[in-house]
Amino acid sequence: MTNANSAEPIIRIEHVWKFFGELPALQDVSLHVYQGQRVVIIGPSGSGKSTLLRSINRLEEINSGLISVDGIDVNDPKNDINKIRQNLGMVFQQFNLFPHKTVLQNLTMAPCRLRGMPRKEAEELALRLLNKVGISDKAHAYPAMLSGGQQQRVAIARALAMQPELMLFDEPTSALDPEMVGEVLDVMVNLARDGMTMICVTHEMGFARTVADVVVFMDKGQILEVGSPEDIYEHPQHPRLQQFLKQVL
Amino acid sequence: MRENEENGLPAGMAPEGKIEVPAGGLVLPDSEKGGIVNAWSLSLVGAVVVLTVLCTVWPDPYLEILRFLPGGLVVTFEVTILSIVCAIPLGLITGLGRLSHNRVINLIASTYVEVIRGIPLLVQIFYIYYALAKFLQVSGLTSAVIAISFCYGAYMGEVFRAGIMAVPKGQTEASRSLGFNKVQTMLFVVLPQALRTIIPPVGNECIAMLKDTSLVSVMAMPDLMQFGRSFAAKSYLYFETYTVIALIYLIITLLLSKAVSILESRLNYYDKRK
Repeated sequence: MTNANSAEPIIRIEHVWKFFGELPALQDVSLHVYQGQRVVIIGPSGSGKSTLLRSINRLEEINSGLISVDGIDVNDPKNDINKIRQNLGMVFQQFNLFPHKTVLQNLTMAPCRLRGMPRKEAEELALRLLNKVGISDKAHAYPAMLSGGQQQRVAIARALAMQPELMLFDEPTSALDPEMVGEVLDVMVNLARDGMTMICVTHEMGFARTVADVVVFMDKGQILEVGSPEDIYEHPQHPRLQQFLKQVL
Repeated sequence: MRENEENGLPAGMAPEGKIEVPAGGLVLPDSEKGGIVNAWSLSLVGAVVVLTVLCTVWPDPYLEILRFLPGGLVVTFEVTILSIVCAIPLGLITGLGRLSHNRVINLIASTYVEVIRGIPLLVQIFYIYYALAKFLQVSGLTSAVIAISFCYGAYMGEVFRAGIMAVPKGQTEASRSLGFNKVQTMLFVVLPQALRTIIPPVGNECIAMLKDTSLVSVMAMPDLMQFGRSFAAKSYLYFETYTVIALIYLIITLLLSKAVSILESRLNYYDKRK
């Protein structure tokens, strides 16, 4: 499954350090992600998973090292970060839908304003995507009228509306009521089946096992182990990972 | 109970009878709105009734006073509206400046707010009037508008700043992650949401501004207050004149505060469920 032999990685993370004041959030982290790969990042809270994910589209600035997307350095001020971000869909734990816009407007806003897509075309695209995530009947509702699971599915569709090359998921199911986790994971599994490259910070073991090509285990800002879901869940090497799995499973 | 308020009146309740008595006979002061509505209608009806009675029973001074004032009312509105038009953009710029990461811009905006807030409006009006007169040839109206909008720009700057800060950070992050730049994020995502928290206090500032325009009468601006003063000086009917002036200000501000609260509830459209 892993296309590790295909020439260039989409995401190249090399020796990244990041500090919050004195506290190191990322310590010499390196990771490559290739076209079509599904990467799941696991680890205890405060291990730097989200920080790593957020540095990929520069929502966090790193202190040293290199992060590049398609060979473009995201931290180089000469490169237009807004252009790079248009290619990286992001889904947040708290959904962050725009509450003053309808569901449809949430989806059409970025393609219309940033890609210059005609409104009609953007709306057709939006409806197609809403259909895909199973909430086309809510197109004209405001986010506050939707359940958490529905909001998160809209948020995924909103990110997809920019037709990104890669999707970043930052604990997409952690803020959801348990009965709504499934509907969001289903959407993500389908997305993975369609061949979308994705990096996902999540605690959902089932999802990691069915979908992931690579599972990354982080602790205290370091990547301690990288491997296939089987390697990680069946034959964990690092004692910290063994301990972590014992607590979660 | 809430729904009654929004959808109009429950059956059998008179328009003024918006007192909410929850089941169990407990009168909870939970709905501030209801309280204000009552106080509001009482004040308005009171003011209108008193004014009408005064003018019909003793038309000699009161109706005469009332007839004398419209010219001043026009000037009061003129000063108020022009000042609002200037103060709101000034407030927005100040608020954005106070939030800016650029230290110079931030310092300028913050100093402006500190200085203006530390000087009484009446002193500012005198100061600007005489300072401008020293260097420039400006009309009373211009310097009145400059003084008031300068002062209220600082007050409103704080309102804008608070409103913008109240928009969750996740909104900015979501917008930036889609590829919107800082300006687009502010225009399309943050400000429209901030507006909802900003409108009511800005509306209240505007009402306060209308009242404070009475201060410009010190520069011989022919506003409502100045008209009243000159009528009183001519007729020696100080008590009667200022009664009418007070009632007129009261009626105007009550009507405007109602307009603000209607605007406020209209801005909540996207929170209403179903």
